[in-house]
Amino acid sequence: MTFAFRLRQALLIARLELGRAFFSKRAFWVYGLALFPLLIFVGHGLDATWKRQRWAEQITTREKLDSVAEGQTLEEVRQRLGKPIRQGDWEDREENRKHNWLSYYDGRRRMDLDFTNGLLTHIRSEPLVNFEEDRTIFATVFQYFYLRLAIFFGSLGIFMNLFRGEMLDKTLHYWLLAPARRGTLLAGKYLAGVAASVVIFGIGTAVCFYSVMWYQNGAEVQAYWAGPGLSHLAWYLAASTLACVGYGSVFVAAGLLVRNPIVPAVILLLWESINSFLPAALQKLSVLYYVQSLCPVPPSEIDNDTPALLKMLLSPAEPASAASAVLGVLAVTALVLWVASRAIRRTEINYGTE
Amino acid sequence: MMRIPEVIFDNVSKFYGEVLGVNKVSLHIPPGITALVGPNGSGKTTLMNLMAGLIFPNRGTVSVRGLSPRDPEKLMRVLGYATQYDAAPRGVTGFDFVLTGLLLYGFPRPEAERRAWKAIERVRLTDAAGRKIAAYSKGMRQRIRLAQAIAHDPEVVVLDEPLNGLDPLVRAETIAMFREWAAQEKHVILSSHVLQEVDVISDQVILISNGMIVAEGEIRNVRDEISEHPSQFLIRCRDASRVAALLFDEEHVTEVRLNDDRLGLLVLTRNRAAFARTLGRIAVNDHEIESVIPADENVDSLYEYLIGQGGRS
Repeated sequence: MTFAFRLRQALLIARLELGRAFFSKRAFWVYGLALFPLLIFVGHGLDATWKRQRWAEQITTREKLDSVAEGQTLEEVRQRLGKPIRQGDWEDREENRKHNWLSYYDGRRRMDLDFTNGLLTHIRSEPLVNFEEDRTIFATVFQYFYLRLAIFFGSLGIFMNLFRGEMLDKTLHYWLLAPARRGTLLAGKYLAGVAASVVIFGIGTAVCFYSVMWYQNGAEVQAYWAGPGLSHLAWYLAASTLACVGYGSVFVAAGLLVRNPIVPAVILLLWESINSFLPAALQKLSVLYYVQSLCPVPPSEIDNDTPALLKMLLSPAEPASAASAVLGVLAVTALVLWVASRAIRRTEINYGTE
Repeated sequence: MMRIPEVIFDNVSKFYGEVLGVNKVSLHIPPGITALVGPNGSGKTTLMNLMAGLIFPNRGTVSVRGLSPRDPEKLMRVLGYATQYDAAPRGVTGFDFVLTGLLLYGFPRPEAERRAWKAIERVRLTDAAGRKIAAYSKGMRQRIRLAQAIAHDPEVVVLDEPLNGLDPLVRAETIAMFREWAAQEKHVILSSHVLQEVDVISDQVILISNGMIVAEGEIRNVRDEISEHPSQFLIRCRDASRVAALLFDEEHVTEVRLNDDRLGLLVLTRNRAAFARTLGRIAVNDHEIESVIPADENVDSLYEYLIGQGGRS
């Protein structure tokens, strides 16, 4: 048998497995994981759009807003600026103070005015939508949720199913009775898993990335696309693809080595989480370390109120260069697939114990 | 003349953890129809799975016509295995199921389709080939698995309970097909617990109980090997009482039971050859003997003698 024949066999197996990888009942929740961030960004976008429409009738000019200053009375401000878009008051009984606040909108920014005992004490102004801030939020969600959890558990669902799922369905013997090397079978099934996960999470990444933009100021978005936008998208896609490749290899191997997916998932999740505290050599035995290095936008600073342990776990390690990140994931993947190829040679059909 | 390789088990043991699958099995299975017979859990499927490389022995080696079951790339070109596992891949039609297997052999698509249709026709499933296997009856699923196992025209066909769920017509055709393959010097190795069926089909029988081979060979030879257990014969004759008395004097006869109609008797003997000589002598002395029928030469009786006792113990 030639290499070309085995390659054709692997591709045929991959093609036959694609349907199972995409539409397996056991892995439908993967779609939910892939599109979950969409809820955050679409929700935020709908809220911004709704406010923009609602407040459009009460726009206050920037000149008027700039004319108010601390120390002015509530009545003066009301007279000068007119009806606010929002207002409220509260009372501090301990210190016997009455607080009021008024919000105005100039078409792009919202200005909040705080009054204490009728005098303007504080002026805050912020844009209704902040593209830069939203991009940072996306980067944070991508690194802390998408890479660490969504792709991690999504890969578990897709890749563990390739062998363990067939064992549970009692259909794995059909593959083991095919006139193909076990290694060829592994390659074919792994390719199917990679194709499915890359498509699902690639589309998820692109859709979530776009969902940060549709409600933003058109000129800002245009400038972003003309600048680093496409490159950012490409790096996010590269990171999600490499995460699928890396985690996929780990979970396909786990599917051949252990019965219960929870055990390797917990161990790997823990390993990936503590990775930044490990010596440099051990850090390189991690998928997350490499794929995080490819992310183009740093995540938000971790809040000081965050518990110390969680803060430590979320702290990213010193990033690797793009080239070494790609090569690193591929090296980890090759090592794990080699282990999987040894395991599949020993795989036996024993449905009775499943 | 070139010797046709056999299926060889050389001192093979297989354990599932603490549970015994088969123990120290040594077999040389020649071409032809060989039946593995034994009660549930006796180790029949284990032997078949060992042949096909679905499991591997803890000790000993298995060789299928000179090929190792650890090399599916080569082995599965000469071996077709219809397992007893009833599950089928989800959403697949019967035709696609057979076709997929053939494509993995590297057949060009038109050739693979031709072979798929041929195999499906042989098991009489042409009309249902386009339907999903999930909608098939048990018998149809059995037949489509058989079609997949034979579609690439293997030299060794391993069939786990192949006649289960087949209607009488298809069953007869399937048995005829087995005989046709056997005539072509192929190995047809099947398991069954329908013993009458095995008795009729098989050239060879392997009796297995509790993971051990109890007996192997042609049914008659297997029976002969069990010298310590008496053979049974039914004799029809007019003067049954007199014949019974003559037989009872013989040392090799252990028991004689007279029929109620006094026209027949059941004889148990430890020596078939001596029994034949005695019968000849009796017949010469004017005792008309209408017929002599071996009462225990079918697999049922062997099964009862050899396995039934072991299974109950």
